[in-house]
Amino acid sequence: MVCVLPGLGREKGKEGEERVVASAGKMRKEDTLKLISAEGFEFVVDRKAAMVSQTIRNMLTSPGSFSETEHGEVTFPEISTTILEKICQYFYWSLQYASGKETEFHIEPELTLELMMAANYLHT
Amino acid sequence: MGGACSRKRDQLVDEDIVLGRNSGRYCKSGNSKWLGISTGRPAVDIQQVGGSRPSLMELCISKICEDIDKYSTFSMLPRDISQQIVNELVYSKCLRENSLQAFRDCALQDLYLGEYPGVDDSWMEVISSQGSSLISVDLSGSKVTDGGLICLRDCTKLQSLNLSFCDHISDCGLHHISGFSNLTSLSFRRNSATTAQGMSALSNLVNLVMLDLERCTGIHGGLVHLRGLTKLEYLNIKWCNCITDKDMEPLSCLTNLKALQISCSKVTDFGISYLKGLRELALLNVEGCPITAACLNSISELGKLSYLNLNRCNLTDDGCEKFSLLGSLKVLNLGFNDVTASCLVHLKGLTNLESLNLDSCRIGDEALVNVIGLCRLKCLELSDTEVGSDGLCHLTGLNNLESINLSFTAVSDIGLRKLSQLISLRSLNLDVRQITDTGLAALTSLTGLTHMDLFGAHITDAGTNFLKNFKKLQSLEICGGGITDSGVKNIKDLSSLMLLNLSQNHRLTDKSLEFISGLTALVSLNISNSRITSAGLQHLRPLKNLKSLSLESCKVTANDMKKLRSTHLPNLVSFRPH
Repeated sequence: MVCVLPGLGREKGKEGEERVVASAGKMRKEDTLKLISAEGFEFVVDRKAAMVSQTIRNMLTSPGSFSETEHGEVTFPEISTTILEKICQYFYWSLQYASGKETEFHIEPELTLELMMAANYLHT
Repeated sequence: MGGACSRKRDQLVDEDIVLGRNSGRYCKSGNSKWLGISTGRPAVDIQQVGGSRPSLMELCISKICEDIDKYSTFSMLPRDISQQIVNELVYSKCLRENSLQAFRDCALQDLYLGEYPGVDDSWMEVISSQGSSLISVDLSGSKVTDGGLICLRDCTKLQSLNLSFCDHISDCGLHHISGFSNLTSLSFRRNSATTAQGMSALSNLVNLVMLDLERCTGIHGGLVHLRGLTKLEYLNIKWCNCITDKDMEPLSCLTNLKALQISCSKVTDFGISYLKGLRELALLNVEGCPITAACLNSISELGKLSYLNLNRCNLTDDGCEKFSLLGSLKVLNLGFNDVTASCLVHLKGLTNLESLNLDSCRIGDEALVNVIGLCRLKCLELSDTEVGSDGLCHLTGLNNLESINLSFTAVSDIGLRKLSQLISLRSLNLDVRQITDTGLAALTSLTGLTHMDLFGAHITDAGTNFLKNFKKLQSLEICGGGITDSGVKNIKDLSSLMLLNLSQNHRLTDKSLEFISGLTALVSLNISNSRITSAGLQHLRPLKNLKSLSLESCKVTANDMKKLRSTHLPNLVSFRPH
């Protein structure tokens, strides 16, 4: 399993191990969300960041209570690890942008089409 | 300078705005042309996450637009995504014939290429490859020819087609679209090559709801082919000066017509009589037709008519009594007709009226007695009439009045007090030479004003003190020559101002620009004929919204202006000197 330090790239962990890595200090589990890629890689992100995606926001806030809400994890069988990582980076970039830090978000040309399809699905 | 001072602004009411037609997704192209907006963003817009931060979708799309030449096909993408890409490419003017190739077989629904540079027959193959997915195409202003239209034959589901200003399309091309029986909207403006023979192709388009043939000057005799198009609701044949009474006969079958525009044609009272049975008609525009009040015999049978434009016809008082039968009218334009108070008498009962245009009619103070009961009036146009101060007392009860034009009337300072109770007023045109600071002082209660035109009025620095009350002003024109820098100082806190015209005030200096520098909402600024110098331009740097800047006859060169644009005001599209 793999966790991500958002914005700093991927960190390998031991198989089966789950680590929560946040940008500043420890985060409580209920403040995080685990996003799982098609290949089974796990990205633990701040819930607030994940809410940048309208689709995830709807899952977490809709009264019908998706099972995702309880377990704090969402699986995306159609989003590859590379793309999901990029999306997590975007979540954090977006929060920073909103708080006034207007940097450029780099997109590798070879990822663009696939990333766009995922963005479309995630409504982000 | 003389010309500028005696200017006369035409107040044009757009028939389509009155009708409340909105830009629906599938007829956006046609509509936007009618509204005179051709460069708007496509109706199907890119998703917004909220706020101003760009969505990941937007970032991806602009990345693709940057590298568009690296993509050979988008056909693997879902349709709605490729649609967003093509929309953005069109909007950012990055689409070329070769990049269009990547959209072959993408099942696109809309292609809004109106006024897009370079569109010609070579684009048509990819356009037609969208096949039955294609719903709306705008090719207006393109070089597409009759031959190019043949390609469209596979696009059988087409609902909206805009071929306005396509000078290379003739009768023959019209025949290529005669099979599009799903078409609900067709625009074919300004095509002088079309004749009655070409119009015969339209007879198959039985689902047409909107047909725009404005400025097609050779279509007389062809309207017979519209006889069976009974779903037609909007027909525009404005400026088709070939149209005569005979052409009106087939229109009598179009019983679902809601809006008919035949202005500037040769239609007379007799031709209008064919329209009697159009019971759904809500809008009739016959501006500039050689008709008299006798046409009201026919028009009075149109029970749903709410908009009637009779500007620039041959109306006299004779026969005007029939106006009293048009009780459902909301908008009535009688401008530039030879009518007097005896005509206005018959408008008394039209209590649904919201807008009345009497521009240049022969009416004076006593005529306005007839307006007293029209308490729904929002807009009253009295420009170039004989109305003076005494007439204004008849308006004091019009509590809903939002806009009044008194330019070139005999109104003087003493009459303006009577307007002071009309607190709904948003727009006031007082381009009247005899108006002075005293008149302005009487208006300070009108704090809701957003537009004020004092173009030729004799306003001095003292009078500008009263302007401080009008905090919501978005446009202001004072060009009587009486203002100095200290007068401009009184304007400096009107932060809603988007349009400011202070031209002709020849004593204004760079100091004025310094006062204006805080008005960052300004979109248009004119201080021509003043003592402004190039040294003062530095004060304009904060005006980032400025699109139009006029400093004609000042000590400013075209080069200074260009430099200002390139270094500080990138949004400037129009500037003088240039």
